[in-house]
Amino acid sequence: MHIPDGILPAQVCAAGYAITGVATWYSLRQINRKPDPAAEIPKASLLTAAFFVASSIYIPVPPASVHLILNGLLGVVLGYFAFPAILIGLFFQALVIGHGGITTLGINATMMGIPALLAYHIFQSRNAVGKMLKEPTRTGLFSFLGGALGLGIAALIFLALIIFNIPAELNAGAEQAAVLTLSVGHVPLAIIEGMFTTMLVLFLRRVKPELLEG
Amino acid sequence: MGAANLDTYVHRESVIHRWSPRLKLISLVVLMFAFAMVRQLTLVPWMLGLAALLYGLSGLPVSFLRQRLSYPGLFILSLVVLLPLTVGDTVLGQWGWLTLRQEGLQATLLIVGRFLSILTLGFILLGTTPFLTLLHAMRSLGLPTILADMTLLSYRYLFEIAAMLATMQQAMRLRGFGQRRQRWLRVNGQMMQQLAMLAGNLLIRSYEQSDRVYRAMRLRGYGYGAKVAVGQSAIAQPGTLSWSLAAAVLTAAVSLVIAEGLLRR
Repeated sequence: MHIPDGILPAQVCAAGYAITGVATWYSLRQINRKPDPAAEIPKASLLTAAFFVASSIYIPVPPASVHLILNGLLGVVLGYFAFPAILIGLFFQALVIGHGGITTLGINATMMGIPALLAYHIFQSRNAVGKMLKEPTRTGLFSFLGGALGLGIAALIFLALIIFNIPAELNAGAEQAAVLTLSVGHVPLAIIEGMFTTMLVLFLRRVKPELLEG
Repeated sequence: MGAANLDTYVHRESVIHRWSPRLKLISLVVLMFAFAMVRQLTLVPWMLGLAALLYGLSGLPVSFLRQRLSYPGLFILSLVVLLPLTVGDTVLGQWGWLTLRQEGLQATLLIVGRFLSILTLGFILLGTTPFLTLLHAMRSLGLPTILADMTLLSYRYLFEIAAMLATMQQAMRLRGFGQRRQRWLRVNGQMMQQLAMLAGNLLIRSYEQSDRVYRAMRLRGYGYGAKVAVGQSAIAQPGTLSWSLAAAVLTAAVSLVIAEGLLRR
């Protein structure tokens, strides 16, 4: 779910870089407010590499398989480090395997990173629910929402960008129908991503809870 | 990860290799954006010609480009393959239910032309500049210290963690994972749980390793004193060749943008 070079007009690419600049600045500001930001950098870096590698894990759904994006999970685990982590991961993908692109790096980072930050806030809001829900249901529910919405929102942005920017001659009705059809098609993928995130977060909660402190 | 040959051709001696990394980065990125602005089909051959000229100057083998273009090329083809058949009113030809339309064909040629040109520039940049030098150039252009450090550290451990995952997956397969036949279009909950635990273990191992890495870095002075990025070193001042190349590429970029503006009128 990466937009390659050459698809989007330069104005959209520039807007993507502008949004990425603001989101990176905001994330770095939040990171620098931590008591010891230097201590967090190696952890965030190695986890960035681990997420990049883990995104190669496929869920078999015969006759095909589902490729995980993990941006919601990244938000849940890395907090404000999620946006820089996604930016770096996309930079590697563009350079190393030609997946995505240099001109579309900003727009791809926005598409994956903003939902990751939202996922982080959704997951953190589990504390606001208090004792209305018991553990581990509360953590499970909010991690599902984080994972599913992380992918769901990213997919919506991707589809809107692709459909509104490629076929200039398509009429508005056809565009709306295409967005609707493809969005509905992504619902099962968002559910799978949410389930995977829940399973992983509940596993981390049992084995290494400090990883979920954001 | 398919990236072991990332730095294979970076030590050659072409003019593009000798181009100052900072000026090369700025010039090629500006040219990429100029390419992204092209909407007129008549400019596509110029764009492809410029990319080919720079690729020729770089002395990189054609096999390097062919090898690297194959994966993203297939991806973009899957995105645009239907355009000539579905978009537009002007019919160029019809074979049974297949109709080739002019507007869709033009849009496809434009997208593929831009894609090939921009990607070629990206591979010139990567193929002629060591990754660490590229990162130093970005750092000297104002990349925040946290981002530079994170990029370096992630890059340093990327292949190690990938090897760790491969070992873990092999161990799972040796214990019978994935041998059971699955029903079509069904997600196997148990299998997904096992894969989630695999990813979770990978995160935990990386997290624990990061603690050891941080302690080692701390012992070497990381986090104290001036804000210096990991592995940062001085970058040589660009010479006449670098400035000339930068001027030529930036002129080409501006010319493309002007031509695009004039043709659009």
